[in-house]
Amino acid sequence: MKSISLYEDKGTFLNRTAPESKLLYILTAVSVPALTGIEWAGIAFIALSALLLLTGRVLKKTLPVLGVSGFIMLTVVVIQGMFRRENMTPVFSLGPCVFYREGLYFAFQIILHILNILLSFCVLMLTTKPSDLIESLVRRGFSPRFGYVFVSVFQIIPQMTETMGIIMDAQRSRGMETEGNLLTRAKAFLPLISPVVMSSLVNTRERAMALEVRGFNSRCKKSFLNPRVKTAADRYIQAMELALIASALGWRILLWLM
Amino acid sequence: MAHVTALHLKYKYPGSDTLALHDISFSVERGECIGIIGENGSGKSSLCQALAGLIPGFYKGAYGGKVLLDGQEAAHMDADTLCRKVGLVFQNPFNQVTGAKLTAYEEVAFGLENIGVPREEMHARVREAMELLHIYEYREHYPFDLSGGQMQRMAIAGVFAMRPEIIVLDEPVSQLDPQGRKEVFEAIRTLSGHGITIFLAEHNMEQIAAFCDRVALLHEGRLICMDTPARLFSRDDLETYGVEAPVFTKLARVLQVRGQDGLFPVTLEETKRLFMEKRQTGAGVLEWLE
Amino acid sequence: MARIEIEDLYFSYRPEEEILKGVRLTLDQRPTAIIGQNGAGKTTFVKLLKGLLRPTGGRILLDGQDIAGLSAAKLASRIGMVFQNPNDQIFKNTVMAEVSFGPRQIGMPEDKMRICCQKALEAARLTGLEEKNPYDMGLSARKMVAIASILAMDTDTVIFDEPTIAQDHVGKERIRQIIRGLAGEGKSVIAILHDMDFVADVFERVIVFMEGRILMDGSVREVFADRDMLERAYLEQPNVTRLCHELGYRGVYLKVEELLHET
Repeated sequence: MKSISLYEDKGTFLNRTAPESKLLYILTAVSVPALTGIEWAGIAFIALSALLLLTGRVLKKTLPVLGVSGFIMLTVVVIQGMFRRENMTPVFSLGPCVFYREGLYFAFQIILHILNILLSFCVLMLTTKPSDLIESLVRRGFSPRFGYVFVSVFQIIPQMTETMGIIMDAQRSRGMETEGNLLTRAKAFLPLISPVVMSSLVNTRERAMALEVRGFNSRCKKSFLNPRVKTAADRYIQAMELALIASALGWRILLWLM
Repeated sequence: MAHVTALHLKYKYPGSDTLALHDISFSVERGECIGIIGENGSGKSSLCQALAGLIPGFYKGAYGGKVLLDGQEAAHMDADTLCRKVGLVFQNPFNQVTGAKLTAYEEVAFGLENIGVPREEMHARVREAMELLHIYEYREHYPFDLSGGQMQRMAIAGVFAMRPEIIVLDEPVSQLDPQGRKEVFEAIRTLSGHGITIFLAEHNMEQIAAFCDRVALLHEGRLICMDTPARLFSRDDLETYGVEAPVFTKLARVLQVRGQDGLFPVTLEETKRLFMEKRQTGAGVLEWLE
Repeated sequence: MARIEIEDLYFSYRPEEEILKGVRLTLDQRPTAIIGQNGAGKTTFVKLLKGLLRPTGGRILLDGQDIAGLSAAKLASRIGMVFQNPNDQIFKNTVMAEVSFGPRQIGMPEDKMRICCQKALEAARLTGLEEKNPYDMGLSARKMVAIASILAMDTDTVIFDEPTIAQDHVGKERIRQIIRGLAGEGKSVIAILHDMDFVADVFERVIVFMEGRILMDGSVREVFADRDMLERAYLEQPNVTRLCHELGYRGVYLKVEELLHET
C-alpha cells in the first residue's frame, strides 16, 4: 500500500481508541504541566506517552521523529547552555566552550516541552487512520473540504511521485543524465518541472470534476458509512482527561487567588 | 416526453475563440444507449460534460441553448439534484479515485456520504453496485492497488450507487488493456439493462456498433448526424469527418453485401449472418473462400 | 540495423514478487509488437531495454555489447523510446526546441541535427508548426510532437509504448505511416499495443507476454492463428480474423485488404 501516512493498523488498544480520546490526550498532556507549572507533570506525561506507544507497538516508529527533532534539541542545549543571559554558574567545559547551569536548566525545560508535545502527538498520529481522524473532526463541524484535502494528500502525493518517476524516465531516455553530482541532478531537475505541473493540473481538474459529480458540493447534511468509534473505555478515558484538565485549571486558579 | 433533450446547445471555453459545441439539438428516450463519435477535438468531451451539467457550471465560458433532463434544465439544477440525476465516468480511472478512502468499499460509498444517504441504505447500495460490477471481492483492497479495469469499474460503481437515471461515459476504456475493456463494456451493458440512459463516447467503432441504439457523429463542435449504427456507418462521407466505419462494414461495402434494408452490416454477428445467407443463395462473390 | 539479444532476463522490485521470469529472445529488423495483459511485464521489459531499470538477472546485448556498461546518453543515441503520454515528455515552449532537445543531448553535430529534425517534423506532419507552443496544441498533435522528438534522434531502434492510446482515426493513420516509414528505412520498431487490428495491419512479428514470461513469439499470422493460446493470455484475434473464423474459412486473414486480395 502506497501511502505516506505513518499509521499502521496493529489491532492494538490504541488503534481501537476513538480519535477524540487521543486528541483530548494531547490537550491534557500539554495543558496540565503548563497550567500547574509542575515539572514532574511533564516528565510523567512523557513517561505515559512512551508507555502508550510501547503498548501500541509503535515506539520504534517514534525514533525517526525523535531523530529529526533531536538535532533541534541539541542546538537548544548548546545555545542556551553557553549563551543564555542569566548564565552564571559554570558546570563543565568542552575545550573553550563553557556550559552554565542556568542555561542548561532552561534548555532542559524546553526539551521537556518538546518531547511531551512530540510524543503525545505520536500517540495520535501513529495509531489513528488519517481518514478516521478527519471524519471525527468533520462530524464535529469541521469543514469537509479541508478534511478532504488533508486526507487525500497522504494518498495522492505517492501517486504524484510515481508520475514524477515516469517523467524522469522520459527525459533520461532522451539522453539526459539524471544521476551523478549535485549540479547534474539540479540541471536534470529543470525539465521535469513543467511536465509535473502540467500533469498535476490536468489530474487535479479531472479529479475535481469527478468529486463534483459525486456530490462533493452537495449542500445536504453528510452521512457517514462507518459508525462513530466510541467504546465504553473511551467514555472513561475522556472523562478522566477532562477531569485532569479541570483540576489543573482549578489548581492554577487556586494559586492565583492565594 | 424525451428523457434527455439538447436544444441549440452552444458552448465556448473561456479564452478560446472557437465554439466547442455549435448549435447541437437532439432528444433521447429513457433507456436508450447513445454512442458519441468524432475525431479528437470534435466536441465529444464537451458534450459529455454539458450533459452531466459540468458545462457551464464547472468551466464558466460562453453558453447558449440548454440541456433538459426530464424536462428540467440542467444548468439550473443544484449540485445535489444534478448528481442524483446524472453520473459521469471519465477516461482515466486513476483520476476518479478520491484519495480520501482506504478501501474500494469506502470509495464507492463516498458519493452517498456526500448526499446524506442513511447508513443502512448506504451499505445496501454499495454492496449492490459492487456485486453488479463484479468487484465486491475487491472491497477491502486499497483503491490505488486495483488494476485499471477494476479501478474503472469501481468508479462506475461509485456513480451507479448514486442511482442516477443517466450515465455519461467519456472514453471509459481508452486507458485499459483488452481484458479491462471487456470488463468495463460488460459493466456498461449491465447498466443499460437496468434501464439507465447511457451516453458513451468512444473511438472503437466495432464497440460502438455493438453497443449503441443510436450514434451521434460530431465534427468541429457540430452534430453531423444522429442515427442508428447501420444507417450512420453506411454513409459514404464518414472519412471527411475523420472517422471510419467498423471493419465489418468496410468489408461488406467492398463486397456490396447489404441487408434487406439496403444497409451494410455493422457487427460481427450481422456480417456473419448476411455472408452466410449470400453463400446459400450462391451469390457468387464469396465462394472463393470455400 | 541493431541486433538486440536478451539473455535470461529477470527483474523484480521485491525479491518475493518477480515481474520478469526469464525472458530469452533476439530482436531483429522485423517490426515487432508486444502484446499481453497489463501486469504481464511488457512495460518493465522495454524499460530494461532502454536501461531505465537494471535487470536482477541475465543481460541485454546491443550488437554484442552489454548495455549495463553504457551511459544514458550513449544508449539514447542507439535506442529511442516514445512514452505513452506526451505530457510526460514535452517541456519546451516551441515544437522546434522540443524536437531538437534529444539530438542536442546525444551530441549530434549541428548540420546533421538540422536534417534529422526536418525529417522528423515532416514524418509527423508538423512542418510549418515549428514555432508553435506544444501546450497550445491538441492531444493528437502533442503526441506527434513527442514522436517527432524521438525520431529526430535518428536511433536505429525505436520503441513505442502504446502509441495508439486515445488516438482517433487520423492519429492512428499517421502513426501507422510513421512506423512503416521507419521499417522501410531499415530501423527496428518495437511497440507495446492493445489494439489487435492495428497490430495485424502494421507489424510482422508478435510477442505475447504472460505473467512475466513469453507465451508466444512468431509471425503475426502464426500468433493470431492460435485462438486458444491467445485466449489464455486474455487476448482476442483481430476483427477480420474473428469474422473469417466465424464464417468457417480455413485460412488466417488479418485485414480487409488481405481478404479482398484473394478475390
